Amino acid sequence: MKSFDIVIIAMFVALMGVAANITVIFPFLVIAGIPLTFQPFIAVLAGAILGSKKGALAMVVYTIVGLFGAPVFAQLQGGPGIFVRPTFGFILSFIVVAFVVGKIIEKSRDPQLATYCIAGIVGLAFNYLIGTNWVYGAYVFGFDAPDQFTYTIVWLGMLPLFIKDIAFTIAAGIIAHKLPEFVKRPVVGTRVQGGS
Amino acid sequence: MLQNIVIGQYIPVDSPLHRLDSRAKILCLLALAVIVFLANEFWSYTALVTTVILFVVLSRVPLKFFLKGLLPIFILIIFTFFLHAFFTNEGAVLFSVLGFSVYSGGIEQGVYISVRIGSLVVFASLLTLTTTPIDLTDGFESFLRPFKRFGLPAHEMALMMSISIRLIPTLLLEADRILKAQAARGADFAKGSLRTRLETLTAFIIPLFVRSFKRAEDMATAMDARGYRGGEGRTKLRVLKWRARDTIACIIVAGVGVVLALLRDF
Repeated sequence: MKSFDIVIIAMFVALMGVAANITVIFPFLVIAGIPLTFQPFIAVLAGAILGSKKGALAMVVYTIVGLFGAPVFAQLQGGPGIFVRPTFGFILSFIVVAFVVGKIIEKSRDPQLATYCIAGIVGLAFNYLIGTNWVYGAYVFGFDAPDQFTYTIVWLGMLPLFIKDIAFTIAAGIIAHKLPEFVKRPVVGTRVQGGS
Repeated sequence: MLQNIVIGQYIPVDSPLHRLDSRAKILCLLALAVIVFLANEFWSYTALVTTVILFVVLSRVPLKFFLKGLLPIFILIIFTFFLHAFFTNEGAVLFSVLGFSVYSGGIEQGVYISVRIGSLVVFASLLTLTTTPIDLTDGFESFLRPFKRFGLPAHEMALMMSISIRLIPTLLLEADRILKAQAARGADFAKGSLRTRLETLTAFIIPLFVRSFKRAEDMATAMDARGYRGGEGRTKLRVLKWRARDTIACIIVAGVGVVLALLRDF
């Protein structure tokens, strides 16, 4: 792994931390009392820009950094206590999101704007599939939720957020498609010996 | 506001828990996360609460820091409590409100589950309150080292963690600066329809990414210039040491697990 790869992956971890707390910078993004986050947006970009393996690695590191107490999760939360939250599945799903998005773009020979957008939406689908099922599982197994707490209720609760994320994901696709012309790839950088 | 964000939760006091090796503490937390779920009736929950109180006292961390960790989870606990109070229909009917009957079994279950979540959060806070992020990263790296032969970049991951923690405040400042620069050029992020807002947002995101990449490039060049070549043969200023007290701590936690398993109602 090159030094640049190490630093850029760390950079995406930090970007995730900032994106999760974007309302600190943009207070107007608190809509109806719910602070919006840009995490799926950055997760999609990580997959699209870094590729499947490095993108997924960035999300793994993000999860661990958060569990170790850095306030990188939404509302400046951090620490192993997050694991108890029913929404932890969403954080874990970012790993899959970045990997899937990266894989789709790597597989296509000539990625167009549409490829980026489709990859982002497929990634977002994984985000919600894993996250929502985790919420349901957490309530049923972790909190012994009674039978009245049904699978449909969980999905209905996710619907408003899903609509917002669709819009963000398409924006992510457009930016991921545009970004390479703005970001010059590094020419210098020796290969690290001994590293994988 | 941006400057007030505290990275990490470490409280520097001297206590038996602070002196433990970070690896021992990580192992104990993993074990406790399973042990918490063993409790399922009055006496096992009493034993669990006693353990929590004992550990908190041992850590010598002021109580308010634990409360701070519990606060965000508080809504979750309340929600779960009411979910159980209203929907678990066991035991005698205590009273009825608006057609809902509250049973004694429901209240009992609600209290138990709240205690379970609460103890988990307190145990988790103990780890980050008594261990520095650097120690945690080192402990994490030494756990992952054996997996290196399967292609897991343990050292690189630990380095990325340290770098990213350092980069968060930098990025927040950077974001603030870009925001002000674009506002000075007339960008208004708070007005217009959702579509125009998203379009304006690109005026924020593109510079943020460009600057991030530039910074990463500079940093990588600096690392290369100083001869960074990965984890192979690299020595450390502070070396983790496993002492007798770390083994004792693990045995105590295992003991708690055995006690809870014995008290538990099958």
